Amino acid sequence: MKRSCRYIGVVSLVLILFVMPTLAAAQVSLEVWNDFNPATSIDARALVEAYREYERLNPGVKINHNTMTYADLRQKAVVANQAGTGPDVLHMLGEWVAEFSALGIIEDITDLVENWEDKDQFPASTWAVATSQGRIYGIPSIASTRALVYRNDLFEEVGIAEPPVTWSDLRDVAKKLAVDRDGDGRADVAGFAFCSSTDAVRGPQEFLVLLWSTGAELAVQTDGKWVPGFTVDQVRDVYQLLYDMMHVDKSVPEYIRGWEYNDLDQAFEVGTVAMCQNGAWMANRATRSATGEHWRTAAVPYQKVPATYMEVKVEAIGAHSANKAEAWNLLSYLMSKDQMYSFTKYDNLPSRSDVMALPYYQENEIWCKTFLELVPHGKVIPSIPLSQVFLSSMEYLQAVLYKLATPEQAAQGFYDDTAAYLSTLR
Amino acid sequence: MNKSRRTQATSGSLAGSALGRYGYLVPIFVLFILVELYPFVYSVVLSFWNKHLLHPNADQFIGLGNYIKMLQSPHFIRAIRNSTVFTVGSVVFEYLVGLGSALILNSRHIKFRNLFRAIVLLPWVVPIAVNSLIWKFMLSPNFGFINQLLAAIGFPHLLTVNWLGDIRYAMPAVIFVNVWRSFPFYTITLLAGLAQIPSDLYEAASIDGASKWQSFIHITLPGIRGVSQVIVVLHIIWTFVNFDVIYLLTKGGPLRMTEVVPTLLYREAFDFFNMGYAAAMGVFLLVVLAITVGRAYTKTSSFQ
Repeated sequence: MKRSCRYIGVVSLVLILFVMPTLAAAQVSLEVWNDFNPATSIDARALVEAYREYERLNPGVKINHNTMTYADLRQKAVVANQAGTGPDVLHMLGEWVAEFSALGIIEDITDLVENWEDKDQFPASTWAVATSQGRIYGIPSIASTRALVYRNDLFEEVGIAEPPVTWSDLRDVAKKLAVDRDGDGRADVAGFAFCSSTDAVRGPQEFLVLLWSTGAELAVQTDGKWVPGFTVDQVRDVYQLLYDMMHVDKSVPEYIRGWEYNDLDQAFEVGTVAMCQNGAWMANRATRSATGEHWRTAAVPYQKVPATYMEVKVEAIGAHSANKAEAWNLLSYLMSKDQMYSFTKYDNLPSRSDVMALPYYQENEIWCKTFLELVPHGKVIPSIPLSQVFLSSMEYLQAVLYKLATPEQAAQGFYDDTAAYLSTLR
Repeated sequence: MNKSRRTQATSGSLAGSALGRYGYLVPIFVLFILVELYPFVYSVVLSFWNKHLLHPNADQFIGLGNYIKMLQSPHFIRAIRNSTVFTVGSVVFEYLVGLGSALILNSRHIKFRNLFRAIVLLPWVVPIAVNSLIWKFMLSPNFGFINQLLAAIGFPHLLTVNWLGDIRYAMPAVIFVNVWRSFPFYTITLLAGLAQIPSDLYEAASIDGASKWQSFIHITLPGIRGVSQVIVVLHIIWTFVNFDVIYLLTKGGPLRMTEVVPTLLYREAFDFFNMGYAAAMGVFLLVVLAITVGRAYTKTSSFQ
């Protein structure tokens, strides 16, 4: 008995020491972090199916898909990097590329991309987002503009036929939409609404679209140094527009102060908001919503220059990955024409030109064609760390909306803070 | 010869047992060094350096530079003020609600006391993250349960109130959520304290003609003074360094109205990557708590 136990023990030890590592080595496990949640998104389910297909084609590879919100993605990537670890493949907002490359979270894949046969299928503007200091740190996976999303049923109720084109139109249309239907002395519908939470990623993006439409840039490089690309007057015009709509026209209700994107999207869906800036992901929501058939899209109203935010999301390889070659193989597979088409149909738009040209996108007037037609006006955020500037833009906006600062004071403060911050960039 | 062998054996086993005893301490000692001492010393050292993760080649020893910058920063001053308001507001209301519920649950007139005691514990046993996210959802404007309820019972104008996003209501709202989450701890602890008070004291007071209020002031409160001191001091520390409740509810917004020192520290470290400055805040927090509350805690502990 004792001898049998000893024999079993020795055999187990040999298995643990020699056989198991061999088996483990045969199986490459790739950690993928992204925000594609199969529970809520059809595109995410398609992406997960693409992972499974890749595993079938590559029997030695196992893909562990970790889904989390963008805020958690960013935080987790930064914290993991401090501990010298991280995912093999990381999905990112384009504006993180500069910070993440500087922090050493993501791998420089310039050489791999330069030798990749599909490289030319991606517009240069999308590669610009994935580039920092002249080096490429990821593949642009999703490229989508922002549009004015509006409720056609509410427009028809007050006799408006066309969406607004300029800021002046926007104020007029929003005023007409903000009517008191139940006679309690308060407008039941917000003519227009926007994100202003200091916590919401969409707040600064919506603010930037308005700033760009004054003809300004957020930051420009002169003589190798970054400086504000806007004047105090230009940013004042943006704050003044939003102040006037809330406190003069009363077409934007005060209760939207501090809204996050969830608040905005829900309110739009139930019809308490008639117009807002939004993205093509609302198509997925429209298919589930009882009011979705009334949702329409148009260009975001502008002051001087038509402009919109060109949101590019980037897939990168983790700098701490032990499986960089396998991670690249997976990425190049997912970013191929057929695979990208499979997971950019409902709440995402593709970054590849050959996918955009497919009939599916050209024939879907509301949720694809409008957004694709806005691409020529799309602007990207400069490839430098800008978290402090984004926070500052929202804090000054809130100060204006709460009447703690005039639009002039807020504009001057935002300009000064931005200039001071940019001067610290090396 | 035998005696000498016995002596050797005895001293050998003593040495062995002493070695064994200290040997048992090695794992916890190693763990303490790795997860407590090393991070603490590293943080103190870091606080004297200009260390920015985006500029790894620009590390520089700046002495008290981070501390001076911190004390001159209006954001930090506001965070200290908010931390104080959040802590005082939370601890006062937690104590009052906890004491009130403990007195009710201690009453002999209450039926199903054990059931109610178990129900009261529920907010405390739910994980903080779940708790905070549920409240965030319930307090959301237009569609949140609280606003829907208020509108249904005759306050339709409150339907759109953004409790966590409006500068007027954000701090009271986070204090409310924190109180709701923490008061059961007070309830259970104070219930234990109340059970220790001899009932004959109340009988004697009653015979002497003391009112309920007089019994409460002169018997109940002195009877739970010790346990009250311990839980209040502990909760002052826990609330002052609390990060998760505020981070999950408001992330310090709107307009930094709920920004407390731990959320500001986190923002500086993981949003702006300013590690040296963030470390200075952490060290400052530790020193302030050690000087103020730590002293009280030591006294309370020795009293106990």
